[in-house]
This record gives sequence, structure tokens and C-alpha cells, in this order.
Amino acid sequence: MFLKRYLIPRLIQYVLVIVLGITAVFFIPRLLPNDPVLRTIAEMRARGAYLEPGAMDKIISDLQQMYGLEGSLWEQYLAFWGRLFRGDLGVSFFQFPTPVIDLIMTALPWTAGLLLTTTILGWVIGNLVGGFAGYYSNKQWSRVLDAIAMVVRPLPYYIFAFALLLIFAYYLRWFPISGGARLGMRPSWSWPFIQSVLWHSFLPAMSILVLSAAVWFQTMKLVVQNVNAESFVTYAKLSGVKEGRIVSRYVIRNALLPQITGLGLSLGLIFSGALITEIVYSYPGLGTLLYNAIINGDYNLIMGITVFSILAITTSVLIVDLIYPLFDPRIRYM
Amino acid sequence: MKPRIWLLISALLVMSLLMAGCAAEPAAPAAPAVGEAPPAEEPSAGLGDLPRHETLIVDILTGRVGTPDDFNEWVGWKWRDRGMQNLANEPLWSVDFATGKIIPGLAAGDPVYNDDFTALTIPLREGVTWDDGQPFTAADVVFTVETLKKHQGFNDHIFFGENVKSVTAVDDYTVAFELNAPNSRFHTRFLDRWGATWIMPKHIWESVEDPVTFKFNPFVGTGPYKLHSYDPSGFWTIWEKRADWDKSPTGIMFGEPKPKYIVFQYFANEGAKILAQLTHQADVVNVSSDGLKAVLAQCESCRAYRLEWPYVVNNDPAQTGITFNTARAPYDNREVRWALLLAIDIGEYMGMAVDGTGALSPVHIPSLSNYPDDFIKPMLPWLEEFTIDLGNGETFAPFDPNASQRVVEYAKSRGYKVPEDPEEQARLFGYGWYKYAPDVAEKLLVKNGFSKDGSGRWLLPDGTPWRIRCLTGTQLATGMGERNCVAAVQQWKNFGIDAEVYSSEATANLNAVGDFDVSSNWPAQEPWGAGPDLYRVLNHWKSEFVKPLGEVTSGHPSRWSSPEMDAVIEKLQNTDPTDYQATVDIGIEGLKIAVREMPGIPTFGYVGFIAWDQTYWTNWPGAENPYTQPYTHWGPFKYMTPFLQPTGAR
Repeated sequence: MFLKRYLIPRLIQYVLVIVLGITAVFFIPRLLPNDPVLRTIAEMRARGAYLEPGAMDKIISDLQQMYGLEGSLWEQYLAFWGRLFRGDLGVSFFQFPTPVIDLIMTALPWTAGLLLTTTILGWVIGNLVGGFAGYYSNKQWSRVLDAIAMVVRPLPYYIFAFALLLIFAYYLRWFPISGGARLGMRPSWSWPFIQSVLWHSFLPAMSILVLSAAVWFQTMKLVVQNVNAESFVTYAKLSGVKEGRIVSRYVIRNALLPQITGLGLSLGLIFSGALITEIVYSYPGLGTLLYNAIINGDYNLIMGITVFSILAITTSVLIVDLIYPLFDPRIRYM
Repeated sequence: MKPRIWLLISALLVMSLLMAGCAAEPAAPAAPAVGEAPPAEEPSAGLGDLPRHETLIVDILTGRVGTPDDFNEWVGWKWRDRGMQNLANEPLWSVDFATGKIIPGLAAGDPVYNDDFTALTIPLREGVTWDDGQPFTAADVVFTVETLKKHQGFNDHIFFGENVKSVTAVDDYTVAFELNAPNSRFHTRFLDRWGATWIMPKHIWESVEDPVTFKFNPFVGTGPYKLHSYDPSGFWTIWEKRADWDKSPTGIMFGEPKPKYIVFQYFANEGAKILAQLTHQADVVNVSSDGLKAVLAQCESCRAYRLEWPYVVNNDPAQTGITFNTARAPYDNREVRWALLLAIDIGEYMGMAVDGTGALSPVHIPSLSNYPDDFIKPMLPWLEEFTIDLGNGETFAPFDPNASQRVVEYAKSRGYKVPEDPEEQARLFGYGWYKYAPDVAEKLLVKNGFSKDGSGRWLLPDGTPWRIRCLTGTQLATGMGERNCVAAVQQWKNFGIDAEVYSSEATANLNAVGDFDVSSNWPAQEPWGAGPDLYRVLNHWKSEFVKPLGEVTSGHPSRWSSPEMDAVIEKLQNTDPTDYQATVDIGIEGLKIAVREMPGIPTFGYVGFIAWDQTYWTNWPGAENPYTQPYTHWGPFKYMTPFLQPTGAR
């Protein structure tokens, strides 16, 4: 019954969303006024290459051929799906002839490592502290935390990130100014490298963590305050249920449900990168890769990154949907 | 329930740590041999292990390297200013725009053409070796050209395919070319002006199966530095001085380079660059005008190209300005183009564009290097006599030899310390420009059917409002093109035209297909920056390259051409470029035509902003001692390295 009435339709929906999303991703960049071939030529010229004017037509047709931009849009679309099923995302135009998958896999660990950690930690800290602050909202410490969150949350991210950089990297010199690891250090599983990555990631991570925790804190606090006013909580209190049990089993557990959905969506968004973080801290990652791909009309790279993003978001939403009964016994797919 | 939540969270956390750990193992191909430097060089690597007093740190102009493990600079764009073109490669010849000289690198002298320019021989420098110890010979040049000809995918495939009939090694140090058609500028393909055709080491490339996809890693060059290591994420590349630096053309010509290591580092934002320099973690940074001010204000050990105002590098060989789309009315009319020029008050314009820091040029080449002496000063009498026909027998001489004084006055009004020596002023601000003559501009427009409405706004000859959109890029605060558009629009607004800046990421496309009225594209193709030859500038105006609107033009985006200019180009084509005076004379003929027709307005030479920290290194080639060009991203940076002096600071 579960299979027929819920899982199969849900999986069909899942596949459909992916197909439609990827199709949109194929066509939308092609609507940009940026032609990748002309952009490449312009970049090559801007960067010193002297392209013989008389040979321009031939250069254009050569590049179109190399980039796989020959044929009608429909033919390109079919070829794109053919490649995608073989796991081939093509080559980057701007970083020709590097395969898109290589570029993504070089940048992804940095982005995922930073964002997965901060997203989860921010969610856990924000919800935990917000949950208790909501339940004990009349306490002094709860009001103080609320006030801090109200100050921190509206701060523009780039200002906050740059302020951290100035204070801790420039004035105090506790942390490095830029980069993902120390200059000259090649990635390895050695402790010095891991230590260097952690040291370099600290400020970027803090900048994301503090702001995201503040957001989760505020929403969780509000939800908990609402749940706290529900009659079943009052009933539990009057029945003499221990307070700790009321907080953890009745209040926070119920309040957590919308937050879990939020977590699922946030995790999916990881694959879009953290552009501002990468720019402020000169941190490697997917954000600048995607930005440069858009600026340069690098269709293949745009598609490669967004395919990952679409898959991540739809899959995380699917997983959240499927595991929801674990958290809310009222939901059953039978 | 609770344990299940925490189980899920723990699993996600572990996953995230694993992902972070994955960064330790790049998905890109295996670490190159160069990354496995000798133990002495790599205890745990890192700048902490490179002695700072022997290390020079500079920023990468073109940003984060997108292809960090790929050094095949003959295919696509490979961020070659990360040290490939400027340290580890030697070209046959280099342009040095600060001295106005062409420096022979791998070549031992000028090319020698036959009478009809269908063949040439190039003498090569003896005693040069690749950084792996193999000798550099004519066989490398022959192999390079033949390989580029053979494989589609190389940037120069078409050029060599169309031009070269045969290439042979006459002996180990002489290479001979036979060309398919006369081409007196064939050799300039090997002349490094921020890029050239580089020579491949035959002994490495000859065994490569697919040279187009070959990554050429580790990189091997003939320059004084060799690859030490690089970041798989493209944030830095480290080069190390060759033990046999004296086998490189740089070493042979100029002596031992001083820094043992040179690090090219990427900073994602200007703030980080400035902070790095203020903390002495970057010796050279390319910044914006405001960034330079910030560095100079806060860093006692830092200096700019000039020790005093205007501080900037104003001898970059690019002439900025405005381009008209001459395939579109009313910009197809020379008198309209001149009217728009005469509506510009260059003093105000320069103030708004670059705070008065650029050097004016009245012609379509910049006022730098040998160009003032060879071209601009000899043209001054002609410029002063040159007139525009206003109709009814009235003429107007637009040139103002004292126009630079308007910029000087602007600078003084801002409180800047301006040199009083007229010759120094001319070097800084140029040798004149055009008069501010809105009344003359009005006469020209009225003559061509334009009119004004009741509110003083200009109408086109068909009676509709005249609206000009100046196409430019998106760096409105810092880009030189953008600054030109911003200033021009303001001037034309003052004149009564409904003008606006049209900022777009798609400028390359729109310029190429002619979808613009006016743009901040350079008004002419950039010159070499040294030597007498303007073929590179003029050739882009050849009529055969002009395409209809909507098609990608092969020539200059102005789509302007004239039979007269075609004749000059042909004459130049048939002139030996090593015949200095003949080449200059024909270049002047071409410049005169460009001034008369004014397909684009030349305004000021490109303004660059560099900050040098002198904590660890001194003797930078500043304006007071321009022994070479000042940029670390240009090819002749390698020629700067023997002259840098360590301070001994640690």
C-alpha cells in the first residue's frame, strides 16, 4: 500500500522534477546574451592573444566544434542527455579542455566540508539553544540570548564576515587573511595539512555559523513558545510529568518538525556554494566556480554545478519526506 | 526518538568531516612530480619553509587559476601570468614598453625577410638550455610550428596552417620559414606582448600522443625559474630559481635573478590583497585607485610606481577612449563623431574618469614609450594645421597643444603636487588634445540636420530625441573602459544629449556583433608598445574584415574602414618592419587618416595601479628608474628579477 500510494508516485515526482530542472538548466544559460565562443575570443584578446582578424571565422567555427555547440538546439539537448547518462558533463569552455567533473570535484570538498559542517552545527546549536530559550522565555539568560540574536541576525553577511577578518586576521593576527590552507602546502592526509585547513576554515566557518545559528535560534524559540502554549503541554505539566521530559519529548520534539524540513532544504543548497564567503576569505569552493561560469557563458560548467544542486535539493527533500514518520508518529504513509 | 535524531545528526557531521577530509585528496589527476620536491624543499612545505627573505610574493592579475594542473598554454587560456609567461618561459622577443625596446630572448637578433616577404630566417641564441638541462635548438622551434600546424585545437593552429609552407632548421641556431603568402609581420607571432607563441621542448612533446589534451605537467621552460609547486585549487603557484639560471636568456643577458622563490598568489578581493600587503605577506599587488590610496596611507614601507602624485603606472601601452559604431546612423557620419568629440571638456573628463592621472593622446596610440618621439611630436605641426569644414567656407582647427594644461589645472585644484617642468608635465599628461568647443559641435550638428527642442535637448535629423547609450563593462568604479563611458556620458549630457551608461556583462558579444551606438571599447587596436611598427593598430581597420551588423566582425568593433586606410595598410605590409624610419612614416600616414575620420575618440593611456612593499625587496622599476616595465604579470618581469635587491629583512 505504502509503495503504491506514496513511494512510487513520490519517486515519479522526484524524477520529473529532476528532468524538468535539468532541462531548464540546459536552456536558460542559452538565453543569456553571452556567447561562450565570442566570450572566449574576447578573453583571449583581453589577455594578450593576438588573433589574426583574417582567420576569425575559422577560429569561431573551430571553437564551436570543440565546445560541442554545433547543430540545432534540439540536437545539442539530446547530446547533452546522452552524455549525462554516461556521467559525462563535458568540458569547461572557459577552462578548456578541463572536464567539468574535475573542476567540480576539486572545489566540492572545500564547499561541502565548510557548509555541511556549519549548516549542521548551526542547526543543532540554534535549535538546541532556541528550544530551551523558548521554553524558558521568561528567564533573564533567554532574554539576553534573544537580544544578541536580534542584533546579529540582521547584519549583512559580508559586513559581518569582513569584520571578523579585520578583527581576528588583521588586528589580532590570530587567523590567516586568505586561502584554504597555508601557502605552499599541498593537500594530503597529514596532520599539518588538516591542522592548516581547520585553522584557515575557522573564520569562514564562524561567519556562517554565527549568523545561521541566530536564524535557527529565533525561529525555534518562536515555535517552542507556540508549542508551549498548547493544551497537551499544560496537561503534561499538570499531570506532574518531569520538566526535562516535557521539554525534550513534548515541546522540542514537536517544534523540531518544521526545522527538519528547513535543514533538508539548507543541505541541498550547499551545492550552490558560498560565494560571498569565498570572496571575503579567498576560500576555495563552488561559489566562485559557478559565478565565473555564469559570467563567461560556460554552459557546461553552469549545467554541471546546477545538476549537482538539483540532485542534492530534490534528494534531500525526498529523504526528509521519507524519514518524517521517524520524527512525527502522527504521519503514516500507510 | 531522541537517539535516532542524534544518530542522524552524528552521521551528517561525520559525513561533513569526511567531505572536508576529501579536500585533502584532490579529484584532479595525481600530484605532479614537481610537487614532490626534494626533501630539503618540502619538510611540510608552506611559505613557513620558504625563507621569506629569499621569497617574492606577488598577486596573480587574472585571478584564481582555473586549470591549476594544466600548463598547456598553447590550448585555450591557461592563466599564463601565474608565472609561465613572466618567469619560466622565454619568447623569441619581448616588448618592453617602459624602455621602448624589443628585447631578444631566444632569438639572437632581428628576423631577416626576403624581398617579397615570403621567407624569413631567425637567428637563435646559443647556450640556452631548458630547465631540465636539455639544450634549446632550432629543432624545438621547427617542432613547435609543425605541431601547431598539425593539430586542430591549438590556439595558433589556424595561423600557422594558413601562413607556413615549411619550416626548417638550417643549423642548430638558425630556423628558416617559407610562407604561403607574403607576410612581413609573420615574426610578430613570436613577439611577447602579454602573450606570444611559446616554443615547446621537443624532447618532451615528441612522445606525447595527444598534444591538445596534454597537460605539460611538470612545466619545462627556458626561463630563469622552474616550477616548484602549485595549489590544486588554483590559489598559488611557486617558482624556484634554476640552479643553472645562467643557461636562460635572462641570466645570459642580465645576470642572476635575486629572489630564490617567487610565489604567485590569488586574493579573491581587494581587501585581502591590501591586508596581505599591510602585513608584509604580499610584496606586489595590483589594486584599484582607492586600494592604492589605502596602501600608501597605511603602509610606510610601501610605494607606488611614482613616488609622488599621480603615483599610477601611466605608461601602459593601451590607448583608452570611446568607439563609435560607424555602421549605425548617425555615427556613420564623420562630422557627428567630431561634434561629439568637441563637446568634451577634457579637463573635466579626465577629472571624472581617472582623477586627472592619465596621459592624453590626440592620436590612436598612447603617449608612452617611443611613441611621443616617433609619432606624436612629429605629428604636432600637422595636428595644429588640421581643420574641420563647418560649411559656408568656415573651418575650425580643433587641436589644442595646451589641452594637457586643463588636466594640470584640475590636478592643482585638487591640491595634488604637480611637477612644474613643462617636459615632465608633457610626459605625465600628454602633448595636447582637442579644444572644448561646444559651439563648433553645435554648428557641425546643425549642418547635418540635427536640431534642439524647446528644452535645449538635441534631436536627430528625423526629429526624434537623440539618445546615446554608451556600452561598457560592469566595473564602473575601476575599469578604464567604464570610466571613459561614465565621463563621456556626463559630457554629452552637459551638451544636451540624452546620454546614459549601458553596463553589461555581455560587452564582448555586443561589440563583436555591432549591437551598440557608442562603446568604451579601445578606440583602436592596442599597439605593440615598443618599436616603430603600427601594423597591429592599423590592420584592424582593413575593409575586408568589416562585416554587416549582426555578424561577428573580424576587425575593429567600430566597423570603420576606408580605401585610403587600406592603401596605407598595404604599404605598411610591404615595408620591412626593421626599416625604422620608413615604418614610422607610414604609421604616421595611417594615424592622420584615423584623426581625420575619428572612428573612435582616443582619450588617455591606460592607468595601472601597483603597490610595492619594500620590506623585503627594493630597487623596483619605478618612474624614477624605469629600467624595465613595472608589472609582474607582463613577460619582461623575468628581466626585472636580476635587478631586485634583497633588504636582508627576515
